[in-house]
Amino acid sequence: MSLYEIRDMAIQIDGRQLVEGVNISVEAGKCTAIIGASGSGKSLSCLTPFGLTPGKAVGSIKLDGIDLLKANAHQQMKLRSHLTGFVFQQPLTALTPHLTIGAQLKEAAAQAGPPALSRHDLAQKLERVGLSRADERLDQFPHRLSGGERQRVMIAAAIAHKPKLLIADEPTSALDASLRGEIMTLLDDLREEQRLAMLLVSHDLASVENHADHLIVMEEGRVVESSPTADLIACPKKDYTKRLIAATPRLYEPPPDLPATGHVLIDTKDVNIVFPKPGWRRGKIEAVVDASLTVRKGEALAIVGGSGSGKSTLGRAIAGIGPLTSGVISWRGEHLPERRDRNLAMRALIQPVFQDPVASLDPQWKLRDIISEPLKNLRPDINQQTREEMVLKALYDVKLGEEYLDRKPASLSGGQAQRVAIARAIIAGPELLVLDEATSALDPLVGSSILQLLAELQRSKEISLILITHDIASARRICHRIAVLDEGHIVEIGEMETVIGNPQAVATQKLVAAS
Amino acid sequence: MLALVARRLMTAIPTLLAIILTSFFLMRLAPGGPFDGERPLPPETQAALQTAYGLDKPLWEQAWLYISRLAQGDFGPSLVYRDFTVSELVAQGLPISLTLGGLAIALALLIGVSAGLFAAVRAGKAADKTIMMLATVATALPTFVTGPALALLFGLWLGLLPVSGTGEGWSWLIMPVVALALPVSGAIAKLTRAGLATVLKQDHIRTARARGLPETKILFKHGLRPALVPVASYLGPAAAGLLTGAVVVETVFGLPGLGRYFVQGALNRDYPLVLGVVTLYATLIILFNLFADLIYGWLDPRMRDG
Amino acid sequence: MRRLLNRVHWPLWVVLVLIALALILPLVSPWTYDQIDWEAVRAPAFSGSHIFGTDEIGRDRLARLAAGTQVTLMVAIAAALVSLVVGIAWGATAGWVGGKVDEAMMRFVDALYALPFMFIVILLMVIFGRSILLVFIGIGLVEWLTMARVVRGQVMALKQRPFILAAEAAGTPPRTIILKHVLPNIAGVALAYLMLTVPQVVMVESFLSFLGLGVQEPLTSLGILVKEGADDMDMTPLGLLLPGGLLVIILVCLTIEGERLRDIFS
Repeated sequence: MSLYEIRDMAIQIDGRQLVEGVNISVEAGKCTAIIGASGSGKSLSCLTPFGLTPGKAVGSIKLDGIDLLKANAHQQMKLRSHLTGFVFQQPLTALTPHLTIGAQLKEAAAQAGPPALSRHDLAQKLERVGLSRADERLDQFPHRLSGGERQRVMIAAAIAHKPKLLIADEPTSALDASLRGEIMTLLDDLREEQRLAMLLVSHDLASVENHADHLIVMEEGRVVESSPTADLIACPKKDYTKRLIAATPRLYEPPPDLPATGHVLIDTKDVNIVFPKPGWRRGKIEAVVDASLTVRKGEALAIVGGSGSGKSTLGRAIAGIGPLTSGVISWRGEHLPERRDRNLAMRALIQPVFQDPVASLDPQWKLRDIISEPLKNLRPDINQQTREEMVLKALYDVKLGEEYLDRKPASLSGGQAQRVAIARAIIAGPELLVLDEATSALDPLVGSSILQLLAELQRSKEISLILITHDIASARRICHRIAVLDEGHIVEIGEMETVIGNPQAVATQKLVAAS
Repeated sequence: MLALVARRLMTAIPTLLAIILTSFFLMRLAPGGPFDGERPLPPETQAALQTAYGLDKPLWEQAWLYISRLAQGDFGPSLVYRDFTVSELVAQGLPISLTLGGLAIALALLIGVSAGLFAAVRAGKAADKTIMMLATVATALPTFVTGPALALLFGLWLGLLPVSGTGEGWSWLIMPVVALALPVSGAIAKLTRAGLATVLKQDHIRTARARGLPETKILFKHGLRPALVPVASYLGPAAAGLLTGAVVVETVFGLPGLGRYFVQGALNRDYPLVLGVVTLYATLIILFNLFADLIYGWLDPRMRDG
Repeated sequence: MRRLLNRVHWPLWVVLVLIALALILPLVSPWTYDQIDWEAVRAPAFSGSHIFGTDEIGRDRLARLAAGTQVTLMVAIAAALVSLVVGIAWGATAGWVGGKVDEAMMRFVDALYALPFMFIVILLMVIFGRSILLVFIGIGLVEWLTMARVVRGQVMALKQRPFILAAEAAGTPPRTIILKHVLPNIAGVALAYLMLTVPQVVMVESFLSFLGLGVQEPLTSLGILVKEGADDMDMTPLGLLLPGGLLVIILVCLTIEGERLRDIFS
């Protein structure tokens, strides 16, 4: 008999059936994980039984032997507050901004009704989840803590009342790659220590496969496959699961076969990028310090680092769309000036692609105008008719058809929008693309197809790539070399396989361990 | 937090000086002067008066003199009410204006926040829509229409409340305060409702709900404070609006407040009086903004570090 | 055109009908707004050709209402456009240039925001005489602030959007980026705030006229009519209630419409 057992659940919102035929069971001390793309109904299935979504669930949902759907409102609230704890995705917003950590932890501990805890007890709870200077933190407001620290507070609060079931909805996806492993390990330890049943929700197979006992794969509101983790990974039965596993890169897979590289295209020497602090405050923020790197013809370089490491800033300086304080960027040995001083010929060489595909297309423009924008400016020699042919060609290059020409960005999915952004980037025939987290806002299957598209372009058009990312395993599938950025410094740079095989810098070691 | 207050005060002084100087030079740029009566005075008398009040000195020197006297709390003599100093006139008017403004903002906060809260709790229902429609109408009610209309209804037709003057007791305050408070309360109701609608969708409310807290506790302990941040930032402009509205209300209801002195003073070119009132108004508004900043910090601790 | 008409909500129709009436009435009415009917002073409603009666010196109320509405709305629309131009120029510059320039420009706006600006306007009116041009300038001075803030916020947000950076990388010159990418994307919000500025301006103009500092005789405006009505309300309440009611209807309708547009676009 499992602690938490869902049989044949369906969920409706405003009369629309969004989830059906879902079976989930979690045993005490074990972890069940639900994997799925956005919109697959995975979060809905976990949160709706507890009244945390606008949805309405039907079926049989038993927690500790009591049917949640047959319980009255009072019993339901009690089941929720006594037996269950929750950890959510966004640690930055999941804590009440105007209450101290101590006050919120106290509220969480008191939800099941035992006498209020002493300050010492509260501090101990914070120490248990790995927070130093716990006593001091009790009086702090959430905004003083980093994202990782806040997620630890969330976990402490979720288990403060000793629940039997812990529901964690994407607990690590908003955190830096190097922190994810630590948080997952903490959850594992607590689960064993308190014999918690844990229900984990994630879009990322790689981040949960080493922590879950049982995996459930969901797609479009239905369960595709549900098996013990090892079985599911070793012999997936359904096509969707197979594609999902193939789309999840792992560091232990054999190294990919990459195209040959030519002479050096871009060469940066001692690049420094410094921002003034916002407002009237004095002082400066050194975003990038003495960064030197090269990219060859046909080569792909991964620039990897956590958030705030300066990787995007460096990428923008190279692409000529961000500031450069000092240092030299040269192209085939010739000096490439900064931002405003780049002429059209220089612009034509390097094109960027961004993380948020929808935000990178002007919502007021038609796709034909969006894609032809670089062509109009950078290749004024081309006439209207040729231009239209080239737009069409670029659409085909990114595997889209001419029916897209007159559509507007709002009607596109994330993957389609990113393909359009790539079409715009390649149309004027650049030699280097700077891809800033170009796949990380997309669902894994979509992201991996974009990565594959890039690999094809790399071969067919001999385009060099700079892939800015936090995800080493993905980068390894198309990149020859890797540069690791930490707090603005390039702490390690070299051949991909060498660096992954024997990471030298601490930051690299953390990133590799987390992958 | 202390640093924030200190910084605000540091910027307040130059702001105040800028206002005083702007008003000072604006008035002096104008043609005409305080002694242009119906019958022109003989030139010698004009000159004597000019000298007596220091109006013959260079403008910069006059400005400097004025500000250095002001620093000692001396607003100078009134040029039109010749037996009074500006300080005496202001001492009469200020309490009335402050009472009006203070009561109006208190009433507006009381009505506005509770109406906004009620509407947010009933989101999407008939009560919500009715309250929000009423709030929109209230924001569009100009004081100079509601003032006379109230006077007409409750004063002339029903005879319940005094139409003019301060009179006995406090019943004379009701209509002016209501006329002043109505548009502000409408705006506050809308801001509160919108603030709550935003906050109640946020993640930390879901966290609180996941703890099984009762809805009222979620609303008051976790939701209300961040939802009032827009209200706090509206308080500064609201205070400025109330002071302007008070000019009308004091005229309509014949109350001897600062606003009337201002209009009279401006029409009569009574430089020291007008400058005095502008200085006081500016100081009041700056102080009120400072107060709003403090509330801001209480509502949202992130502001305290700013 | 049809799509545009479909997007117009009832409150705007009310205002449009009122404007049409205010424009047509003077053409068909036997009385002008400043013409005195010596035989009918303080005539009650529906007496002879005076549908709403006459005021305390025998002028036709309906004709005066039409004239007052015309002046009030004309001043309001003109001043709102002034505030639109100044606000967009100021806000877009601050938002686009950013950094210390933005900081300084917005501090200036903040400082003005909290000031008893109305009093400076009153001073201006008193000192430089009461021309209708000065009413525009005075009101424009007060009302551009909100527009500047809103536009600046929009531009700041847009500037961070990758499609602007992509346009820069595509070699699009800054002028074209502003004209083709930035302005079209803030047009909706600017329109909504323009709609919200009109009632604000109506309020300020009427306020000044009420104090006797705005539009001057023989011209009239709704503010002046309210003032005249208030002075004479113990004799003829209609004199206060008609222009007051009309003013409130216009203000309420414009506010509802503006808020609706604002909610759609932001």
